[in-house]
Amino acid sequence: MKKFLFTVLMVALTFCLFAEGQQDAAAASFPEKPIRVVVYAGAGGQLDITARKFVEIAAKYTNATFVVENKAGAGGLVGWEYVVSQPADGYNLMAVTKTLIANHVKDEFDVAPMSLDWIAFLINDAEAIITNANSKIRTIQDIIADAKARAGQQIWVTPPGVDEVMTYKFWDKTGISGKYVPYDAGGQAMAAVIGQQAQVYVGNPVDVRGKPDLMMAAISAEKRFAQFPDVPTLKELGVHGLDAESFWRGFAVKAGTPANVVAWYDDLFAKLTADPDWKQFNEKDGMEVVHIKKDKFNTIIESEIKDFKAYFNK
Amino acid sequence: MELLGHMLEGFGNVFAVGPLIAVAIGVFMGILVGAMPGLSPSMGVALLLPFTFRLDPLIGLVMLTAVYLASNYGGSITAITINTPGTPSAVATAFDGYPLTQQGKAGIGLGHSLVSSVVGGFVGIVILILFAQPLAKIAVKMHPAEYFALALFGLTTVASLGGKNWAKAFVAALIGLLINTIGIDPISSVKRYTFGVTALFDGFDIIPALIGLFALSEVFTKLEEGAIKSIDVGDAESRKDVWPTLREYWDHRRVTLQSSVFGTLIGIFPGAGSAIASFLAYDLAKRTSKHPETFGKGNAEGVCAAEAANSASVGGAMVPLLTLGIPGSAATAVLVGALMIHDLVPGPMLFTSNPGLIYGLFASMLVANIFMLFVGALGGRLWLKVIKISPAVLLPMIVAVAFIGSFAVKNSLFDVGACFVFGIAGWMLKRYGYPMAPIVLGMVLGKLAEVNFRRAVIMGGYSIFFTRPASAILLIISVAAFALPFIQASKEKRKSAGKK
Repeated sequence: MKKFLFTVLMVALTFCLFAEGQQDAAAASFPEKPIRVVVYAGAGGQLDITARKFVEIAAKYTNATFVVENKAGAGGLVGWEYVVSQPADGYNLMAVTKTLIANHVKDEFDVAPMSLDWIAFLINDAEAIITNANSKIRTIQDIIADAKARAGQQIWVTPPGVDEVMTYKFWDKTGISGKYVPYDAGGQAMAAVIGQQAQVYVGNPVDVRGKPDLMMAAISAEKRFAQFPDVPTLKELGVHGLDAESFWRGFAVKAGTPANVVAWYDDLFAKLTADPDWKQFNEKDGMEVVHIKKDKFNTIIESEIKDFKAYFNK
Repeated sequence: MELLGHMLEGFGNVFAVGPLIAVAIGVFMGILVGAMPGLSPSMGVALLLPFTFRLDPLIGLVMLTAVYLASNYGGSITAITINTPGTPSAVATAFDGYPLTQQGKAGIGLGHSLVSSVVGGFVGIVILILFAQPLAKIAVKMHPAEYFALALFGLTTVASLGGKNWAKAFVAALIGLLINTIGIDPISSVKRYTFGVTALFDGFDIIPALIGLFALSEVFTKLEEGAIKSIDVGDAESRKDVWPTLREYWDHRRVTLQSSVFGTLIGIFPGAGSAIASFLAYDLAKRTSKHPETFGKGNAEGVCAAEAANSASVGGAMVPLLTLGIPGSAATAVLVGALMIHDLVPGPMLFTSNPGLIYGLFASMLVANIFMLFVGALGGRLWLKVIKISPAVLLPMIVAVAFIGSFAVKNSLFDVGACFVFGIAGWMLKRYGYPMAPIVLGMVLGKLAEVNFRRAVIMGGYSIFFTRPASAILLIISVAAFALPFIQASKEKRKSAGKK
């Protein structure tokens, strides 16, 4: 009996090994089964909606099936650990944002930043300095003058992470100082600015859409946006070195994913980037559609890790 | 008059086949979601969200809002019948709802819960329609110091919730507050009691804790008692048809209206939420009642207060969403997504750019309440059947639903384990007479209190709590509210000692 069991086990194990070998062979004709799009945030949020929009548009260009799965928690680490725990076969596509990098440094994630292969940087969202349109502190000049008058008591509110570091950078470049107060939800932070308990909010152009009480004092970009012709860039105002500050969204797969699979994604993302619906979906919110591929994206990640470390470990 | 015209247009938009079906589906799904332990209103809305992508914006929006509204009522069904609140906001409903069931008067609890939910829903929406703009101005003036004071005020309800058992209620609230400290500190990002476990970074989610503490602990208690055969719900005759009479509904008008207005007001503050609204309204009802001693022993006023408040808070939560573009609760945050996907930006512009949509939404919320009344009235007899199910069938079902619900929160097995541990802890605490509700209250209010305390101190130092009038007044009321039950108790003690 024991012998019989042993044989069954061995046969089963062989099949397992065989299956593993099959998977490698399958990479030649990717994809052969549904692809899981791992969203590290809950359903209904901006990232989730963007991921679902991607799935909708991708259907125009490929027969592959994408299934969005929300693996929320621990600031993205839950999703990240999940993708890393899966085989590096490209069947787990992780929707990523700059917040993941900020959280990786701030919360000391127990995964290597390069355990993911950052294959596509697709959306560039400028950072915006946002003020209360009905208050006395509206423009960048007002902010700087007020900060000096208050001598370090000016209050800046943002969700912790990317926008928090943007706050510190702005203070550094302009030589002002203030008090930083974290709000876990951007909406509540904006309410604090509307209620004038705080003077400045740092976010993105999308945040002021539909909110006449708020205005953008400046954006961090090379030149003014066609959608917001009245909003100056920081550079114009003499605040240099922050033009490249932006919030990005894109996709990553587990490091070690075969090159042909990455090439398949490159091709799909190129088509996505050219798609008018995708452009319209992102540009209406003041975001820029781009397509930065694996190698350059990976160097961006490495430099951002260093950058965040410099600010969070201060 | 302009408003009237807009509302007529709104009703015109809603009284069509599509929107009415959407409202009906939304109400039905909402009641289901609310009644299911583990599916909170915000999860219910998020679950249905993808289905609305391809729908007309108005149809999608009215469906999701109907889910949100109805789920706050749905939570009361299981709270009253089997002492398992389906949502955190129904915890306060169970205080008097379940004792009513134990007395064989589940119908009384269910009837009052339905009617007060509907009234609360109406009041919340009417306030939203009439006073959204001025209320939003008040909401944004709320400083972190005031949020802290509000949270503290909420915690004082422990003193009156606990009654004679106040010391144990206090310990239970402290347990809730301590559980809250687990996870990444929201202000300075320090990892507290996470032991390197990723799943603990966010601390314990309220939903698995709620299900464990209420549903599983009850199952364990029943198993221990060996009470598998029957639940004491009174004799068959009294179970049959004890529904409140119209007269009884009318008699509860004061507490229902008071809680509705109060719930709406709490709802407008971003971050406060329906659970806090129902706890505070329950406490207020108890304090203003002529018979406070009957609360917690099956006084229908308690059910009315909690249910009116949590349903009314829905209208309140829509205030900052529609007037400022800022979501006031987890569920309204999902509604933002629903609007954005249709390229509609929540905020005051919607009133001018899409009045048909906004007033259609208002109209649909009123219609949803009427649907809820019908579904609740027709389904009421069905809900009652839950308590007639043999425990041998019901208990395993509760366990299964509890685990599925916990898993559904974040698709995480960790939460299932957490639910089980909370169940064991709840069972043990109950054996020694510790109430469960203060634990939930501590968990709900702990983060609100901590985060806002620290924000306020960063913004203005420790003196800010006393230099801001609103915060100072709330703090004084809190101290008074906390001390009052003890003073009364010691007075009574002296009286009875004097008699001896």
